Order: sequence, then C-alpha cells, then structure tokens
Amino acid sequence: MNTTKPPAQRRKTTTQEAEAVVHALRTHQVDAIVGERDVSFVRLKQVELELESSRDELRILATRLESQRESERAEVAREIHDELGQSLTSLQLGLAWLTYTVTLTPPVRAKLASMSALVRTTIRSVKQVAVRLRPGVLDELGLVKTLRSEAKAFTEHTGVQCRFETNLRNVACHRAGSLAVFRIVQAALTNVARHAQASSAVIGLMKRRNDLVVTVKDNGRGIAKTLVAKPGACGVIGMRERALTLDGTLALAGSRGKGTTLTVRIPLSRVLITRGATSAS
Amino acid sequence: MPHAGRRPAAIHAHRAPRTGARAKTESAANGSETYAFRLFVAGSEPNSTTARHNLTRLCEQYLPGRHRIDIVDVFESAALALKHHVLVTPTLIVLKPRLGVTLLGNLSETRQVLATLRLNGHGR
Repeated sequence: MNTTKPPAQRRKTTTQEAEAVVHALRTHQVDAIVGERDVSFVRLKQVELELESSRDELRILATRLESQRESERAEVAREIHDELGQSLTSLQLGLAWLTYTVTLTPPVRAKLASMSALVRTTIRSVKQVAVRLRPGVLDELGLVKTLRSEAKAFTEHTGVQCRFETNLRNVACHRAGSLAVFRIVQAALTNVARHAQASSAVIGLMKRRNDLVVTVKDNGRGIAKTLVAKPGACGVIGMRERALTLDGTLALAGSRGKGTTLTVRIPLSRVLITRGATSAS
Repeated sequence: MPHAGRRPAAIHAHRAPRTGARAKTESAANGSETYAFRLFVAGSEPNSTTARHNLTRLCEQYLPGRHRIDIVDVFESAALALKHHVLVTPTLIVLKPRLGVTLLGNLSETRQVLATLRLNGHGR
C-alpha cells in the first residue's frame, strides 16, 4: 500500500462507472484501487488463483512421484526377494549340507549352527523388507486383512500392543486407494514407534456415511501443538498428499501425556469398489 | 497475439460520447487524426504491464506514426489519477480525439478495444 495525499476531491461516481469498475474487479483485471487517501493493491484473487494452480501442479507432481516410487519399490522388492532370497536359501542349504555330510569338530559344528541360525534370521528379515516395500498381501488379502496383519506385525516388531478395529468386511478396493491408505497407516505407525513412547495403539478403518475414516491412535506422550502446525513434521506432508490425491483430508491431534490421533477422511468411492457390508470388527 | 492476462478481458466504455465531441469522433473514424492516450497503471503489476503491452501493440499496428501514449503510475501521480477520476488501474483515457470513453482493464479484448476507439475499420 502506498500512501499519497491527493489535492483534489473526487467527484461522485456514476452508476455506469461503478458497474464498469465492479465488472473489471470481477474479471480480475484490476491491479489497484485509487482512493482519495491511498492506492490499494488488488492482488488477493490473483495470488489465490496462482496459489491454487501451484498447489494443483504440486499435487499432480506428488502423485506422479508416488506412483514412480511405488513402481521402484515393487522392483526392489522383487529383486530382494528373488535374488537375495535365493542366495540366502542356497547358503542355508550349503550350511546344512556341511553339517550333515562332513565330520566336524564340536566348535566348528557350533559355529555352523550359529551361522545357519543367522542365515535363517536374515532370510526372515529379507522377506519382511520385501513385504514392507511391496505389500503383496494387499493384492491377495485386501485392505482390511492387510491392516489387521500390519497391526499384528507392529506388535511383534515393536512390543507396542496394536489393535485393529473396523466396521467393514469383504470389501473390494481400488488398488491406488487401498495402497494410499496402507501407506498412511504404515507411516503413522512408524511415527508411533519412533516418537510416541506409547504402550498401545489402535488402527481404525471405519465407514462413516459416505466417507472412509482411517485413524491411528496411540496412548503415548502426545504430539506437541507446535509440531502439529509444522508442515514438514513427522512425514505429515507425505501422508496429507496421499490423502489429498484421494480427495481426502488429514488431521493430527494430540495432547501432552494423552497420546496422538491421526484421522484421515476419504470419500468411500475413492477407495471402495463396492460398498462393503458392515459388521462388527 | 494480444498480451493476455489470466482471465478474459473486460473493457468498459463508461462515459457516453458528449455532443460536442461528435465532430471529432467522425474525424477519428476517417483514419487521419493522431490519437493521444493516457494510461494509468499501478507500477509493474500484472494487469498494468499487460495493458501497457497491449496498448503499445495496438497503436503500432493500427495507429502507426499517429499516436501518443502517456503512462501515469498512480503510485507516483495519485493526484493526476484523482483529477481524471481514475478509480482503478489499469485505466485508459483517450485524450485525443475526444471520444469520451474510458477503458478499464488490461486491454486484452482487441476487438472490443478497437471498436471502442473507432479503429475497427482501419487495421493494416
């Protein structure tokens, strides 16, 4: 805003002039309004439009990047499973062969047994990594069973008791929709494990009118309000972008000592192919 | 190509031609008179810049060698803007010939601008 002191008084504006000005304002062709005391910029609408357009571009870019990342993940998962998994299995078979065909001294036998155990553990880890990279179970079992399985795996890996609740059963989901929901839950659970210091967590997948409401709730120390407002905190941007690609919303709430709740609301049609029958969890 | 803004242009002739200006109007239409414009802009804001480009282009195309453009930045000459009853920028006032019209907006609607300036029959 630029303040000036005009010497002259303005004459009365005619209706025709006023209409013309209103029209020019409505069609966003005005830069500034010249007042008797100052000149005011008219940029809000333009900035708003530019911002919206920029957001749309970013969203499209994020969707493309995500799709690319999913393909790469699938590729890496396949490589890990096929190549590394095969090699480790061969190694395990080799160790077993040595144990049973060669006469070994007790210390060597013990060492071989220990190596064999290590290889078994590594095979298990490789499988877990492959599954995490590419949740094949999502295609095989569907979203509900995958989330149930994820809750169980989370409890086993972290020791944090994780429960899964839903009022959906036997629902068919769009691949992109279910994958987005799964990734959001996965990211939220990672946050619980890393930051929450919680002893229990609950994953919710509920049908509420025309929306699918996904929640991840924990009883930990609670996210600080400053972190909720911070856009880059705790992978919230990624989760929000995933929700936005499905026309959904994401909310994060927490209070000190009372845990954190992540709520994602997505239109049912963006995730479910057919409306599932509701039932108790 | 017109130097277009983000939105369709809005051109408004909001002062009816005065009776005394009629003879001049006829003279303008015969394609011989020099045009004098005063364009009120707000610094280098998008619509002001667009209006400036569009006016220059139209003058070079339809009024070669017989136009004068006076650019007034309202941030520097608010008093002049008030004197000319300028309410918003960009605003184009036709000083000569006395057509009695004022154009608001970024002048992207070439056809409308030309019609308002009585230049629609004089393109090169």
